[in-house]
Amino acid sequence: MEPDDVLILKDYKTVPDIVHEYGPTLKYGHIPLVIDNGSYQCRVGWSISEDPHLIFKNLIARPRKDRSKKDADPPVTPPIQIGNDIVNIEAVRFQLKTQFDKNVVTHFEVQEQVCDYIFSHLGIDSEGRVPHPIVMTEAFVTPNYSRQLMSELLFEGYGVPAVSYGVDSLFSMYKNNIEENALIVNCGYHTIHIIPVLRGKVIFEHARRINLGGSEMVSYLHKLLQLKYPVHVNAITMSRAEEILTQHSGIALDYQEETRRWASGEYYEAHVKRVQLPFVQPATATPLSVEAQKERKKEMARRLLEINARKREERLAEDEEQLNQLLSINDMVEDGDADEFNEALKGFDIKSYEDLQRQIATLQARIEKTRQRAAAAAAGRGLRGRGRRRRRGGARRAGDVCSRRLTPPLSSSGSRTLGIRLYNALVSAREARRARRADMARRRTAAAAERMRVISHLAAAGDDFGTRDEDWDAYKSISREADSDSESEAERVSLLQDALREHEPAPEARTRHQLHLAIEAIRAPELMFQPSMLGSHEAGLAETMEYVFKHFSAEDQLLLANNVFLTGGCSQFPGLKERLERELLEMRPFQSTHRVVTAANPSLDAWYGARDFAGSNEFEHWCISKEDYYEMGGEYLREHHASNRYYKSPAPIDNTLAPAGDANVAKEEIVVDC
Amino acid sequence: MTAETEKKCFKAENKFLVKSGCKKRMWRNLKQITTAERALPWPNDAVLYYSINAPPTFKPTKKYSDISGLPAPYIDRHSKLYYSNADEFATVRSLPMDITAGYLQLRGANTIVG
Repeated sequence: MEPDDVLILKDYKTVPDIVHEYGPTLKYGHIPLVIDNGSYQCRVGWSISEDPHLIFKNLIARPRKDRSKKDADPPVTPPIQIGNDIVNIEAVRFQLKTQFDKNVVTHFEVQEQVCDYIFSHLGIDSEGRVPHPIVMTEAFVTPNYSRQLMSELLFEGYGVPAVSYGVDSLFSMYKNNIEENALIVNCGYHTIHIIPVLRGKVIFEHARRINLGGSEMVSYLHKLLQLKYPVHVNAITMSRAEEILTQHSGIALDYQEETRRWASGEYYEAHVKRVQLPFVQPATATPLSVEAQKERKKEMARRLLEINARKREERLAEDEEQLNQLLSINDMVEDGDADEFNEALKGFDIKSYEDLQRQIATLQARIEKTRQRAAAAAAGRGLRGRGRRRRRGGARRAGDVCSRRLTPPLSSSGSRTLGIRLYNALVSAREARRARRADMARRRTAAAAERMRVISHLAAAGDDFGTRDEDWDAYKSISREADSDSESEAERVSLLQDALREHEPAPEARTRHQLHLAIEAIRAPELMFQPSMLGSHEAGLAETMEYVFKHFSAEDQLLLANNVFLTGGCSQFPGLKERLERELLEMRPFQSTHRVVTAANPSLDAWYGARDFAGSNEFEHWCISKEDYYEMGGEYLREHHASNRYYKSPAPIDNTLAPAGDANVAKEEIVVDC
Repeated sequence: MTAETEKKCFKAENKFLVKSGCKKRMWRNLKQITTAERALPWPNDAVLYYSINAPPTFKPTKKYSDISGLPAPYIDRHSKLYYSNADEFATVRSLPMDITAGYLQLRGANTIVG
């Protein structure tokens, strides 16, 4: 394998945003501010600028309070990181928060933090308010509740003079000069929208949303790789999965066909992508070699022997000293010095003359024994080492013979494979036996039935049972315990393992840290077309398109099919356009035409479209002014060509009896039931 | 502190932000929002968030091997994993419980029902 077809992960790091200049043109020019508030990224810029100034992931990281430092005098609260402040996203993965639930903003505390981030990084310094009209994108068919809170935040929180809401995919469509008929396929981070547009009008009632998007694909791939490589579970991070998905994945033209192709080994070898995970080169000072270990063990044994010898000598000296003293006392008796003798006896805590004699005898015996042992040790030191070596050599030779018998010289690769086969056979035989034993323990399995049969045969066996050696094997076959010959087998297995390990070149650390990307690279994006792979019951992209087509007349269907417009960050998978064309060919009537158009810049065209919208002359008419907000309420929406449709929220069914509040609603239902 | 006041100069006061330690407002999640929306007596032509959900699939779902992604005609009765050939079956059988459970969860097949 060439090292250069290994994919290296880039591990992209974000660069913290600078605070942009807020010049007088901006400050006093009433310049609209364009915010594409997407659930993946937020893009912000002035309507007069070429490109968005800020592009950041719509995330904040709120660090938890450090409990261990609670006692610290000024309580340390680490700062909240927002958007591109988060340089290493994996470090704060569990503290990440987003204002989005699916593709709708629901958590407005976070949204306010994000808005603070936006306005401060644009350098806005006007006192007490943000004096700019704002164009903000919102989800297709946003619930009024969400829009109401967003307006509340913008008008009341920031004192914005006017707001206009639009749908990102519609902005993108206008940016790309799509004619008045189109079927928009917008692949987002959490959802895929299929929006029919006929004669310049969005057909809301026939649009459909698949609740699945880039985030689901990323987490699917993430989990898939983690399950495939449990060893690298920590190295396979969400951001790496995202990188693999965005950089190295694609949509299969024919998923069934493609997966079938992967079944062949050659195809796999030729097409598998190897992704290198970072790894630490093992330290060059490898753990001691076998020889060195043996040497060290020998050294330790020698030292132990020395210590023993020294101890023995000390004990010998002690005993001799005592013996000498006792002998001198004994001499006293012989000299007839009774008084002195009795004194001495008391001093040595000896009761009588007999006792003295006995102690002398035991001491003498002990000294003799110690001397003998010392002599034996001294003689054996030279000899034993040699003897043991000889013995060990013998053992090894026996082992060699054994392994040679099992795995004839492993030097050549052919015999290595033979060894591997033998090893595998042994192991699988053992596995099978274990499985059978496990089965025997369970009821109503074939193995258990067989065991019962053998037992009943044993019971019925005649007197000649046991005359043949094989008879006794019956017991082995019915035993639930580990069978007796498994020990010798284990020995053989470990022997083979050693031999194989010795002859097999250890895989490099580099290759051990590589992920093999096979079907995974097309499997994760395929979720778009087959949500069932996630256990979802929703129809996939192609099926939903077909469903949407069915609601239109044949002529309108043709208009839509001839202008399928593909936009959104997730539409950038290589092969998606071709796949959609193929699916259209499949679902559309024979010999009818179709066309798929991709947005020029699928992830940024929504912002560009919104910018053009904000810069147009009629922009003033499409804005919700502060007066509108106070008069019509927060959910009010001024409709325009790229906006949602506004339906005023109807009053709840029985407003006078049950104001707001879920508890009242529940109570009312009970009354109705009665 | 100075940095914070400077940062917030473009607004008079926080709208939804609360100081740490104060009682936090509970934000409705999307499901609660759409459920509440559904409960209202909308006119017939209103298109709402829940009403544009994709239809359920009517095509038979294809089965793919959990471990390799190959088309999988077989299912291991023991672990309930799909597999495509004998080699994979051996692998499936050798997988520890947590991995098989992970695969099932990934496929959304870890619930008892269905």
